[in-house]
Amino acid sequence: MLAITIADLRFRARQFLIAVVGAGTVFAIALLLAGMVNSFYAEIDRTVASADADGWVVPEGTSGPFTSIGGMPQSTVGAIAKTAGVTAASGMVISLQSPDRGALGLERIMMIGADPKGFGQVVPDEGEPVRKNNEAVADRRLDLDIGDTFVLGGRTFHVVGLVEGMTMLGGTANAWLSLKAAQGVLFGGEPIVTSILVKGDPEQLPPTLKLMSNEEVAVDSLKPMKDAVDSVNNSKYLMWVVAAIIVAALIYVSALQRTRDFAVLKAVGASSRALFVGVALQSVIVTALGALLAISCAWMLKPAYPVPVEVTQAAYVSLPLIAIGVGILSSLVALRRAVNVDPAIAFGAGQ
Amino acid sequence: MNDLVVKDLTVEYSSGGLLVRPLVKKSLTAEDGQLVVLLGPSGCGKTTLLSCLAGLLTPTRGSIRLGGREITRLQGEALTDYRRNQVGVVFQAFNLLPSLTAHGNVVAPMALAGARRSVASARATELLEQVGLGDRMNHRPGAMSGGQQQRVAIARALVHNPPLVLADEPTAHLDHVQVEGVLKLIRSLAQPGRIVVVATHDDRVTNLADIVIELVPSHAGVDREPEDVELTDGEVLFRQGDPGELVYVVKSGGVAIYQELFDGGERHIDVLKEGRYFGELAPLLRLPRSASARAAGDTVVTAYTLRRFRNAFPGSAMQAPGLNGAPHEDG
Repeated sequence: MLAITIADLRFRARQFLIAVVGAGTVFAIALLLAGMVNSFYAEIDRTVASADADGWVVPEGTSGPFTSIGGMPQSTVGAIAKTAGVTAASGMVISLQSPDRGALGLERIMMIGADPKGFGQVVPDEGEPVRKNNEAVADRRLDLDIGDTFVLGGRTFHVVGLVEGMTMLGGTANAWLSLKAAQGVLFGGEPIVTSILVKGDPEQLPPTLKLMSNEEVAVDSLKPMKDAVDSVNNSKYLMWVVAAIIVAALIYVSALQRTRDFAVLKAVGASSRALFVGVALQSVIVTALGALLAISCAWMLKPAYPVPVEVTQAAYVSLPLIAIGVGILSSLVALRRAVNVDPAIAFGAGQ
Repeated sequence: MNDLVVKDLTVEYSSGGLLVRPLVKKSLTAEDGQLVVLLGPSGCGKTTLLSCLAGLLTPTRGSIRLGGREITRLQGEALTDYRRNQVGVVFQAFNLLPSLTAHGNVVAPMALAGARRSVASARATELLEQVGLGDRMNHRPGAMSGGQQQRVAIARALVHNPPLVLADEPTAHLDHVQVEGVLKLIRSLAQPGRIVVVATHDDRVTNLADIVIELVPSHAGVDREPEDVELTDGEVLFRQGDPGELVYVVKSGGVAIYQELFDGGERHIDVLKEGRYFGELAPLLRLPRSASARAAGDTVVTAYTLRRFRNAFPGSAMQAPGLNGAPHEDG
């Protein structure tokens, strides 16, 4: 049956090629959407992990360090550091800002101010970490190189280090400043922090403060984008369905065209099961080829998306498996036609 | 003995709710090595009979025995095995798989039966050489003539060396040059160990046959005196699907013409009174009756042969069917 199936694929090559391209394009879009959803989670995880903290202390009534601003006196940092169970604490000022990059114009960033001598500063992939109040480490998506400058809150900052993949809110570049500089931008130099990083597990906190774990911060940080992320995620599933419909349509039309072939094969002794296996095999071959096409398409199309797209190895590996599943599912539409074909049709009379 | 015995074979099915009986109590016997020709016009049940012999259609009633084995009761694996190994079929329109080469088409049934590829390939090569297509093995059907395709179809039917080979209208799509070669080939297939059954409307084929079975006997030459048939109320004169030999004229009483439905019901068409005639199209066109007739009250009808009817009613629809308003219930 394999030889007959392959021969039919070759015989209707143009027809199957259209389906492979159609399914492959849709698979590629699904892959990119999966990569997009993954990047929304991954950028948050990386940013949270870069703080190297066990927990985040924020004022009661605020949703999280990246999603709302609640000020606390900087002296609170010292008090928290002395709390039982805490081995170290570091104040942070985090807020969305729009620095002026000169000729490149304004661009939104997630400003993260942290004490260069404490923890919370990122270790750059290239260049140096922030040591002075006029220095910044920025993500490459800000389109600035080491030595470039930007103006924020009337102050000029020199980029001394660069990081990769450190973004929030679906591609908004992070920029790390010193705590003092961030306080200058947001609070006019007042000694106020918006969150406190802690190492260890504080046994007790003042009732006006609350502790959030890294996981809670990550979940909270995704909230502003949750509807968008869910929509993209659902669209990904929709793409699987569209691919299944494309392949199912091809296989069904092919089965219609081959009704007499099925009848002849049955008349010369093919079992219904063998016929269905042949149909399913064609479907799986089309979707598997579509998956291979999708993987190369995804590589090419990735840069065209303005938001980060991080397709995981697992997604690349699972795509062919999903494609095979889609192929088998698609072939079910032709199941009845292949299995129930009346072999007497081979005679032409059908009765 | 590898004899083929068909007894009282009847096939009924529904067509638009109507009961259609393409075969009614058909019987035939063929001995090992014989070439049987089923002769008749389109629609007379040739293909239906072949389908039953091929194990592709289960008859409503009757029996088919090949080498003493009852075929009509085979099911599942046994039926699949019969189709694979006991019968080879040459279809009317060749019905080769267009995607496969001639060689691939002959290999296919063996591959489906689980034969080793090398064995199947060698057998296909042998058969294609046998039918004179040694040089066309790698051609697809689309690149072959009708005669060549028919030869491939014959080779395919022989792959398992079956004891029964069926050919449906083997000359239908061929020119006269190709017909000669294909008929010689078919004739050569009928040899000890194998019965060949050919369904055709081409009476040239009958010259090669050991047995000719006319599925619709021709009554055109039959001549006998008209005779009265007395019917009691409700008595059936003929049934839908019966072969038609005679034309009837209502002498007294009445005749109800009706169609039998597949679900057992009836569809009334007309009641014919004294002087009306009916049943002329079946003998004229050599088709089975397309409606049934029964007496509506005690009735006498006169039965005419075609020739006698023409003489007795020169202005009837027999001369120009359908023009005089007479009921044409059995065309």
